[in-house]
Amino acid sequence: MEKKFGVYICKGCGIGEAVNIDELKKTTAGGAKIAAEAIREHEILCSPAGLEMINNDVKEGTNCIVVGACSPRVKFEEFDFPGALTERVNLRELVAWTMEPNTEDTQSVAEDYLKMGVVKLQRGDLPEPKILEDLSSTIMVVGGGFTGLTAALESANAGYKVILVEKEAELGGWGAKLYKETPRTYPYDKLDDPAVFGKIKEAEAHENIRICKSTVIEKTDGQPGLFDVTLRTNGSTETVKVGSFIMAAGWKPYDATKLGHLGYGNPNVITNVQMEEIAKKGKIIRPSDGKEAKNVAFIQCAGQRDMNHLPYCSAFCCATSLKQAKYVREKSSDAVAMIFYKDIRTPGQTELFYKNMQNDPGVLLTKADVTGITDAGNGNLYVEAENTLLGEKIKVEADLVVLATGIVPATRAPQEYLDGLAAATLKGDEAKKNYIEGTEKPEFILNLAYKQGPELPSEDGYYGFADSSFICFQYETRRTGIYTAGCVKQPMTMVDAASDAAGAALKAIQCVEHVAKGIAVHPRAWDATFPDPMMIKCTSCKRCTDECPFGAIDEDEKGTPFFKINRCRRCGTCMGACPERIVSFKDFSVDIVGSMIKNMDVPDEGYRIIVLACENDAYPALDSAAIKKYKLNPSVRIIPVRCLGSTNLVWVTDALSRGIDGLILLGCKYGENYQCHFVKGSELASYRFGKLQETLTKLQLEADRCQLMQVAISDYDALPKMIDDFVARIEEIGPNPFKGF
Amino acid sequence: MTEQIIKPDVKFINDIIASGGESVKKCFQCATCSVVCNVTPDDNPFPRKEMLQAQWGLKDKLINNPDVWLCHQCSDCTAYCPRGAKPGEVLNAVRQLSIKHVSMIPLFAKIAQDPKLIWLLFAVPIVLFYVVMRFAHHETLEFIRLGENMDQMVYHMFIPADPHMNAPFPLKMIFALTAVFSVLSAVVGVNRLWTGMKAQAGQLKSGGNLMEDIISSVKTIFAHSKFADCNVNRLRQWGHMLLSYSFAGLAISGILALIYSYLFNITGPYALTNPMKLLSQASMIAFLAGIVILIYNRFTQAGKAGMGSYFDWIFLSIVAGIGATGLLALGFRLANMSAGYAAFYLHFVFVWLLLAYAPYSKFAHLFYRTTAMVFAKYSGREGKQV
Repeated sequence: MEKKFGVYICKGCGIGEAVNIDELKKTTAGGAKIAAEAIREHEILCSPAGLEMINNDVKEGTNCIVVGACSPRVKFEEFDFPGALTERVNLRELVAWTMEPNTEDTQSVAEDYLKMGVVKLQRGDLPEPKILEDLSSTIMVVGGGFTGLTAALESANAGYKVILVEKEAELGGWGAKLYKETPRTYPYDKLDDPAVFGKIKEAEAHENIRICKSTVIEKTDGQPGLFDVTLRTNGSTETVKVGSFIMAAGWKPYDATKLGHLGYGNPNVITNVQMEEIAKKGKIIRPSDGKEAKNVAFIQCAGQRDMNHLPYCSAFCCATSLKQAKYVREKSSDAVAMIFYKDIRTPGQTELFYKNMQNDPGVLLTKADVTGITDAGNGNLYVEAENTLLGEKIKVEADLVVLATGIVPATRAPQEYLDGLAAATLKGDEAKKNYIEGTEKPEFILNLAYKQGPELPSEDGYYGFADSSFICFQYETRRTGIYTAGCVKQPMTMVDAASDAAGAALKAIQCVEHVAKGIAVHPRAWDATFPDPMMIKCTSCKRCTDECPFGAIDEDEKGTPFFKINRCRRCGTCMGACPERIVSFKDFSVDIVGSMIKNMDVPDEGYRIIVLACENDAYPALDSAAIKKYKLNPSVRIIPVRCLGSTNLVWVTDALSRGIDGLILLGCKYGENYQCHFVKGSELASYRFGKLQETLTKLQLEADRCQLMQVAISDYDALPKMIDDFVARIEEIGPNPFKGF
Repeated sequence: MTEQIIKPDVKFINDIIASGGESVKKCFQCATCSVVCNVTPDDNPFPRKEMLQAQWGLKDKLINNPDVWLCHQCSDCTAYCPRGAKPGEVLNAVRQLSIKHVSMIPLFAKIAQDPKLIWLLFAVPIVLFYVVMRFAHHETLEFIRLGENMDQMVYHMFIPADPHMNAPFPLKMIFALTAVFSVLSAVVGVNRLWTGMKAQAGQLKSGGNLMEDIISSVKTIFAHSKFADCNVNRLRQWGHMLLSYSFAGLAISGILALIYSYLFNITGPYALTNPMKLLSQASMIAFLAGIVILIYNRFTQAGKAGMGSYFDWIFLSIVAGIGATGLLALGFRLANMSAGYAAFYLHFVFVWLLLAYAPYSKFAHLFYRTTAMVFAKYSGREGKQV
């Protein structure tokens, strides 16, 4: 493509008052080698007249458009020129609103940004989407419980073919084992019949849904739009092609045999799951002697919110116990149900059910730490508790005790197995590895043929739940095209599971639609670029295959990395990882950012500092600081990057060798409660940076010249000072000794 | 902390619900009530714990609990309760059950508290005074008919007040006997409550000086200083003060009347300047003002404090009935209208109800709250200085 440039400078929103526009046009023409007549200004560029000016040039053949106006985060609909390469230079937020007006420094900042914008387009190219062939838009739903059935119906009703895989012989999961359900409609006072049977009927009759019962997934190969899934049903196998997955593999009850301290083992101490079975048969008959139970104690959080068992809350057990208290009361009017809780947690409308149940004189509730369940003779039991609101240690006699046990996600066992193996392999502990391999292999669910492992990867602090913990991003996992819903993701009630299933269905649909257009899925859902490695230079070091947060890069038979483009989220982590610097995107590459750095003006006097800012959180935080009219230090130049994970260390070398005095990597918080849109970006940057700082010290450059800072999007008020403190530290260290070389 | 075996009593929960505490189960133990309460002791404050005890039907813990009586039903708790559990109303219901529990004759408590027995409540004095009027002085009905021709109405001719005219059951004697019954009931009830509270409290913190504690409690009661701590029912302080002072005044004048007739053989009607008559007139004005304030407060604060129960309203109605019939009897007499006889008759029906059921109706709070206040000081539950 022959490039024809047009540079458009907006004078509105205070830019014209803060910057000398004539001077800016002149320096841009000189510094960036742009014809003076191709540089235009407008009072309000986003006005119809301003946009008409640009569009007229586009018609005349201008195909590289540099818009020097507001932040790229705003007015993206106005400044959209299909077919042309467009770069937004943020003269408003990062110059006019954050710098002292009409100073030499301010003018220089504006010049640098505009020049870098031009350079970016000089080095970049117009993206062309890569659309793979023979794409499937079929959605595979894993798990035929309430969530899976809902997800299948939602997808099928939206017009997509669905294959529903259930390992059991019957559909319905736990939902089909319930006697009744907590009320679903106002006034939330009557128990409902299980909803799952209606869904089974509907799904079985649906023309878009194919149901595979007694079926497990033997192997999942490929990528979104092109997954080849091998199914095994009663010994025979079959391979089907699907576009995306909804993972609703559900949960298992926590192993109650570990709850001996709560009396489990005594026949009259049962779990909430057993209580459903009993209620389904009729009267509440206790197991030991067949006597009808009239004083039933419910122990909430049994083995839950307890570091020795399940550390989390399973979300529905309070409502479940209230529901089962209603079984007790409805089946026998003189029966009493006593509930001992840590806190009653009845999310959403179940609160109204709680209020209704509370009003029943025969339902007694108290906060308590249950210290033990002891024998009271005749098969009865004493519930012993302390820290009750009744003020003392108490002892209450019951003829049946129900433990509100929690849920363990179906993903936990395979994750623990795989993590154990990986840790043993990493440590070179053969004995441990052999031991783990000798234990019974848990049920795997997806059996992914991915280099990074066969199941959804575990996350620290998520206890085996298949939750990516993407803040704000429900359903996402670290395997593109596989979306989770229901209790495999996090504990939830059935009402929540229903809406969760619908949400996951929308994501699965979005995935097949996006791969059909050759654009990325969440979070860069507009992005038509893709990593395009120059494979002849690849040394097969496999750093990219290890570091890709989404397992998008497999290896071929020879061990050479192989990009599965539809798995890619376009974060650029591979680009940051590659020591050969062979991974590029059309509008984002090692060369593009390197050239921007190299074309920046580095003064002999004063300091120049580069901030590589993550465009997901750090850059919006800077914009927010600008909206608040906080002042930013004029010695810094901000360059947005897709993710800190895309930061290639050669940029640091480029900068320092040019005499840049310091460099900040401004990214998201990592570790537990990380906020990275690409899960591992700033963590990987920090890891790489750690190595770099050692190198700097060896070169007798102060390690402090480079610093990684973690910010949340809400830290905008702290940002200016963080940057000022860094500049002050650089001034303390003194100028870069390479300056002027 | 000792381990206590808890025995939930669903019947007791249902009793509380039936006695005006229908909101008891709504409480979710946030303790806002205990925080906003200005009359609770700081240590282990009520009414949160009482709410839970009530929800669990822990009858033993509530029935002999001085805290239930230390509550003055300011209703600040009810006004601030985020769940509409109305702790003030619940404690009122518990007090009602406590009165029944310690009562000398439980049937009387039942008649006083059960709305279904309201007919029996009124039937007894209606019949009683009819009998007095009809048989003690059989010319009575004739007398009323003739009354129109008399210069001045004389009520004691209608129902004999004093032991003369061969009246076997003169009014004063009936009331004296009723008072003896009431006092006896109260003594038995107070003794049962005291014993129960003592047993419930176990080892007392401090062996207080009983006399000192009684004096201090009576001072508090007379000063109405507890009522002053209330926010929602602030106005009630004045209504209650006027009413209780008037009761004291009427009690004194009543005793004086007995002394006049039985010791000095001076019979009525008494001159309006008689000190006894003056005291009773002043008390009557205070009485009327007090009951009007109390009922006004009830209605205006109902949104915050709740509407109250049958137990409250039957008591208020009797008190208001005394005021109204007393006033009418006086008015009719001065106007020389024979309708006064009916008012006079009803007046004594109401007065008798108040007196006879004093230890069984809401009036019993006079005895039991006083007992609990003394006990709270005696046992060290509450500081002596208020």
